[in-house]
Amino acid sequence: MATHEEISASLQSFYEGYQKNNKLKLMNRDWNRIIIIRASDIDSQHTLTLQNGELSVTRGAPDQNADLVVTSDSETLADLFYGDITPTEPYMNGTLVIQGSENDILRLDFISLMIWGE
Amino acid sequence: MKRVVSVSLGSSKRDHQVQVELLGEQFEISRLGVDGDFERAIAKLHQLDGQVDAIGLGGIDVYVYAGNKRYAFNDGLKLMEAVKTTPVVDGSGLKNTLERDAVKYLMQNTDVVKNGTRVLMVSAVDRFGMAEAFAAAQCDVTYGDLIFAAGIPYPIKTLQELEEIAAKLLPEMTRLPFLMLYPTGQKQESRDEDKAEKFAQYYHDAEVIAGDFHFIKRYIPDKLDGQTIITNTTTASDVEFLRQSGAGRLVTTTPVFEGRSFGTNVIEGVLVTLLGKPCDNITPEDYLDIIKKLDFKPRIFELDN
Repeated sequence: MATHEEISASLQSFYEGYQKNNKLKLMNRDWNRIIIIRASDIDSQHTLTLQNGELSVTRGAPDQNADLVVTSDSETLADLFYGDITPTEPYMNGTLVIQGSENDILRLDFISLMIWGE
Repeated sequence: MKRVVSVSLGSSKRDHQVQVELLGEQFEISRLGVDGDFERAIAKLHQLDGQVDAIGLGGIDVYVYAGNKRYAFNDGLKLMEAVKTTPVVDGSGLKNTLERDAVKYLMQNTDVVKNGTRVLMVSAVDRFGMAEAFAAAQCDVTYGDLIFAAGIPYPIKTLQELEEIAAKLLPEMTRLPFLMLYPTGQKQESRDEDKAEKFAQYYHDAEVIAGDFHFIKRYIPDKLDGQTIITNTTTASDVEFLRQSGAGRLVTTTPVFEGRSFGTNVIEGVLVTLLGKPCDNITPEDYLDIIKKLDFKPRIFELDN
């Protein structure tokens, strides 16, 4: 089990990976989304906000409705955002649940692979 | 009579059967759509295995390519592995030979493809032979893989960048259900209105739109202005649809039988039958030799608007 602090640190790592990738920012300039990252086994919520290609990470739930809600156990979330695992396997076996439109889910998958892919 | 059957994840509305003679051999070629039902496709493959001369897998890619790397879709492999006896192909052998040569032919014999022609490939990793041939012909190519498969408005402009992005994405994306990435079943009957509107400019900016027909059709904007479409798997009603959509010309890379150009998978099934060799032993040169004997060339249809 990971802690809330570990999930925060993993999201910071994800944020730094995103910040270094100018191509990814360009790719996402049209994709303004609010994404909740929620642990299923501990009290932990974070919000990823994408606005005009810029990403921000905040602790807690957003003020407005989210477009995507990503839920998994704390360990999987930390592994995922540190890039130790890809989202495909936990998504396919149901450990990682993403609520949102199919297009948005696919796009979130693309972002994580563009940051952490081979 | 040789029998070649294409089992397609696509719509059953496109089912078709023809009889043709090729190099003195009679063929019955048919296409069976399962409307996106994966389990029905598996059952149909089990039923046909050992009963026909070759099976093509349609509406799905097993293998896609970027540079010298090959990636296999899990779903495609599952279908392929359902067939134990009969030769089974997905069309990628012909995409690497027939379609590559089709672009060369158009460059050498027509004004459809020339240096600087603006080409939109709606998806390139599933037609890498064609993608490389357009680049070799010094066309101004936009590879639309991210745009149309993922909805990301990022035109890939070089093969090198396509390979780099593919290396990051495809090892994982090929593990996802194929239907998340490609229109299957009912989705083949409808247009993705959001993407068609959002990405219309890429179609309008192109002189040639090339690639998978279902991709082209799913994202086609309201009105084209005389563009050339290079594709296959078109029926007579598809030709009419393209005419109504404002396309100026249709080039099919596979031969037309009874008004219809079959998919590369089924034509590859025919060639495998004619070659009479195990699929693993067939080389690109084998395909090119038999394509030459069959005198397969791209067919060009002017679409009067």
